Amino acid sequence: MTTSLLSAPAATALRDALLTDRERALTRLYRRAFPLVRRYVCGHGGTAQDAQDVFHDALVVLYEQAVGGTLVLTASASTYLVGIARNLWHHELRRRDRLPHEALPAELELQAAEESADTAEPAFAVLDYVERLGEKCRNVLLAFYYFQQPLTQIAAANGYRSVRSATVQKFKCLERLRNSVRRAFTAETIEY
Amino acid sequence: MRPELERLQLIEQQLLNNPAALPAQDWNVRLLIDGELAADAQAQQQLYHGLRVAGRRQLRQELRLIHERLHAGRFAWLRRLWPG
Repeated sequence: MTTSLLSAPAATALRDALLTDRERALTRLYRRAFPLVRRYVCGHGGTAQDAQDVFHDALVVLYEQAVGGTLVLTASASTYLVGIARNLWHHELRRRDRLPHEALPAELELQAAEESADTAEPAFAVLDYVERLGEKCRNVLLAFYYFQQPLTQIAAANGYRSVRSATVQKFKCLERLRNSVRRAFTAETIEY
Repeated sequence: MRPELERLQLIEQQLLNNPAALPAQDWNVRLLIDGELAADAQAQQQLYHGLRVAGRRQLRQELRLIHERLHAGRFAWLRRLWPG
């Protein structure tokens, strides 16, 4: 099979699978690819926990590329996933060589690499307020803005009668989040 | 929708490059007319970054659960024999 034949439909199929039933699609990828990643990491100076950490990082990268429409597959998704994990593990080994006494969780490293200094700090501040939202609001916002589920699916999953109702609810939740953050920042400004 | 929500929608369309986003020139005019629009857009951008961090955190939690389900069970019989 040629690359051009494989790439677009395979990436689209993966995207659809992740959006339709995330748990099932991720479990399938996990079953296929994790044993290979564990064998590789454990054979190259890492522990089982290291293998799990880089594999989760690789899955996050794959998920974001797949649902964001930027994924180009030239091999199976599992092969691609193993490739990302191997690269991440090499990167981590180089980091450990440079800074042998500084333990940095792979999760933070991935975030640090992808967030600029200007946006990382406010993002972590906002995170606290996302955690404090009610469960329904939190689910709606994450489903739309991170997991990139279509509003039709969000409406059905949360019992909204229409896409329009789900859209209004999404903006109400976003407004609630913004107001919480704004109140907190205003209070901080007054305190100092 | 209430005007406040419509404003959030307007900003979102610009920030997320929605097909309904205003042409750059029109958006720039709005920024000139509305003195608070730039600050509101920046604040909203920070919300999206925060939601991305929160989404990643949730995805990692889901992955940990999948890992436990697939791999922890393999040694469950051993733990039953030698608890603790």
